[in-house]
Amino acid sequence: MPKLAQSGQEADAAALYSRSGAAAYGVSAEQFAAILDEILRKYLPHNPPHASAPVSPDYSTEKKNGFCAALRLEELALARACAAGNERAWQDFIGRYRQKLHSMALHITRDAAHAAELADSLFADLYGVNARNGVRSSKLVSYTGRGSLEGWLRTVMAQEFINRYRKQKRTVSLEEQTDEGVQFAAAIPEPACTSDPRLEAATDEALAELSSEDRFTLVSYYLDGRTLAEIAQTLGLHESSVSRRLDRLSTGLRKRILAGLRMQGMSHAQAAEALETDVRDIQLNLRSRLMQDSGTKTFPGNKVPAQDAGDGSTD
Amino acid sequence: MTEVPKIVYDRLRAARPEGALPDRSMPGRSMPGQSISGQTTPPPPHPDAELLTAFAEQALSATERAGVLEHLALCGDCREVVALALPTDLLAIPTAANAETEASAIPAKSRWSWLSSAHFAWPGLRWAALAAGVAVAAVVLLLHPGKLNQATLPSANQRVAPAADPRIASSPVESSPVASSPVASSPVQQLTTLAKADETRVKPELQMSKKFKAGQAASPLPAQSGMLLAGNKTGSAQADKPSAVPFGGPPAFEPGESAPRTVTESVQVAAAAEAVSVEPSSEDTLLARNPAPAIEKAKPALSEPEVIGQQNNQAAYGAAPAGLQSRNVMSAAKQSPSSNQTLARQRAVNQTLANETLANNVTWTIKTGILQRSLDSGQSWQNALHADRPLLCYAGRGLDIWTGGQAGTLFHSSDNGLTWVRVQPSVKTYGLTSDVTRIDIHDNLRDPVEIVVFTSNHEIWSSADGGRTWNKK
Repeated sequence: MPKLAQSGQEADAAALYSRSGAAAYGVSAEQFAAILDEILRKYLPHNPPHASAPVSPDYSTEKKNGFCAALRLEELALARACAAGNERAWQDFIGRYRQKLHSMALHITRDAAHAAELADSLFADLYGVNARNGVRSSKLVSYTGRGSLEGWLRTVMAQEFINRYRKQKRTVSLEEQTDEGVQFAAAIPEPACTSDPRLEAATDEALAELSSEDRFTLVSYYLDGRTLAEIAQTLGLHESSVSRRLDRLSTGLRKRILAGLRMQGMSHAQAAEALETDVRDIQLNLRSRLMQDSGTKTFPGNKVPAQDAGDGSTD
Repeated sequence: MTEVPKIVYDRLRAARPEGALPDRSMPGRSMPGQSISGQTTPPPPHPDAELLTAFAEQALSATERAGVLEHLALCGDCREVVALALPTDLLAIPTAANAETEASAIPAKSRWSWLSSAHFAWPGLRWAALAAGVAVAAVVLLLHPGKLNQATLPSANQRVAPAADPRIASSPVESSPVASSPVASSPVQQLTTLAKADETRVKPELQMSKKFKAGQAASPLPAQSGMLLAGNKTGSAQADKPSAVPFGGPPAFEPGESAPRTVTESVQVAAAAEAVSVEPSSEDTLLARNPAPAIEKAKPALSEPEVIGQQNNQAAYGAAPAGLQSRNVMSAAKQSPSSNQTLARQRAVNQTLANETLANNVTWTIKTGILQRSLDSGQSWQNALHADRPLLCYAGRGLDIWTGGQAGTLFHSSDNGLTWVRVQPSVKTYGLTSDVTRIDIHDNLRDPVEIVVFTSNHEIWSSADGGRTWNKK
């Protein structure tokens, strides 16, 4: 019985290997099987550490086969061959993705200079310029074929961009804080703290009831300002579905928050008022807070602002 | 899209840092071998690029997808990565070309606002284009009745222009604004009332015709229509005279003549506006509504090549909003003497119905005391009236010609100079005996017109009934 399973797995592995075309890039069947094994161990935690070990549940074999079959084997072979330093694989990779990488970078950065910088640095990472212990480590090693190689490249680039942007933003915001005081960073979360704790609790409860997908939709639309098309594409839905879901969510949230407020002893009118007047409260709080801030700053500020202004202008 | 309560924003925003704040540099994001088993540790690590890609491509299993979604719901950084990594071709975001123009858009927020605006800009543009199309169609439809109107009556302008000519041609050189004011007063009233009624409709058309004129692309049809209207009025003003008949006649216009054509163009602006604003079907309303424009349009008919520019300006001036047309009437009246002065020898008048070919080309002059007439634009002259005393001045309006000379000589022809009648003005026993130096014909839209005769000893004689009775000032 285990013998049969073993032979079946070998046959499958051979089929996967031939499908990937890894042989053209000088990747042997054993190497490819090892790659697949590594990927399986990563994503299927119940998979036994070694294929030769006794297989307890048969379903894991089917699952494994299905999982492997769903991988993008050809792109996986290309990526791993590139990581291994195969010349032909690199030629193919550059031929296929070099142009795309540059347009991707342009799309992400919206600036030619930044785009070139981003694309070049990513190329360096992909090629593995940064050698560790004398061994070139290419970023392509981390590609596992679950998504398309192009999508993966885009994601990696976006992550790199976000990392850089975060660095820039952090320094900028720190300077702004020293220049302008804490209004910029603090003004937004503060009103929430000053709002009615019962309202907060009711809102948190209502939000906690949402599914993660609903919450993702809500946050993407209202906080991140994504378009319906973007959200729909991310979730694999139609735009109208997203729109309907948002409508349903906003009305449902309002109802649930009101219900939560009533549960805490508010009348319906009180609850509705608490929900509606909240915005005005925030504005009032903001205004009073800003006035206080400016009031406290004016006294010591006679000497300091000139310097601050100079710092600000240099940026 | 219905809005969510403000508190929801705040709580969503407050919840975000829990996942994203621990380390914003996203450690190990690109490191291989990271597990997404987010349930294990309280601050879950960011999903690696592999999983985010597979998530966006809908390639994850249900459990994996739920884990990634759970993280994404809280982590703004990863949401942004996913959004940035969306395939551009599916979102219809222009990449290279537009990105070149969009320089230095480093903050992510501005980039996304640009994206969303680009996304909604096209429907907006589409609506704008549709609105523009509707507007153009409306303008064409408004202009169209005027064109139909002209198409049926093509030659109206050619006869109308000369018809109005002799009236002003006869006005002496120093015609004062004061003298012209009674002429303008009554049409002004009518015109302003008309203008108020039609102002909203006329204005756009005026602008349109202005543009057409500037571009030299205007068709003469609107002008013809307008001239027809003018001609109708002029004809009715002379209804009691037999010589008014030629207005109904066939076209009598030499194609080689350049002046009338330019005249047509100069009148075009005002004419087009009139043609549009008036119902094309009702002849009665046409006549009733256009007495004032009749004057205005008749004025440019005076213009000969030398003053065409001047007259054109005037006509263009008349194309100002309808309320200003009354002012234009005044200015036209003022200007007529100067055109008389410079072009006294080249007047276009109608002759008779029987003599159609000559009708438009009769010009008058006085040479050595003899009134002469030319039928070929001044190339050859023939004596029209040789009075016993030298003639000094003349004036004409339509087929009416008045001429005066030394010692109270005054003749009148109502058939374009074929037959003459001596007129001897007198008040009681005092007759006109001094030299007639100037004759004005005042067209105040009454029929017959008012004749004013100035003499060398500063007498002013006027007749409001075609010369039968006279007053002396």
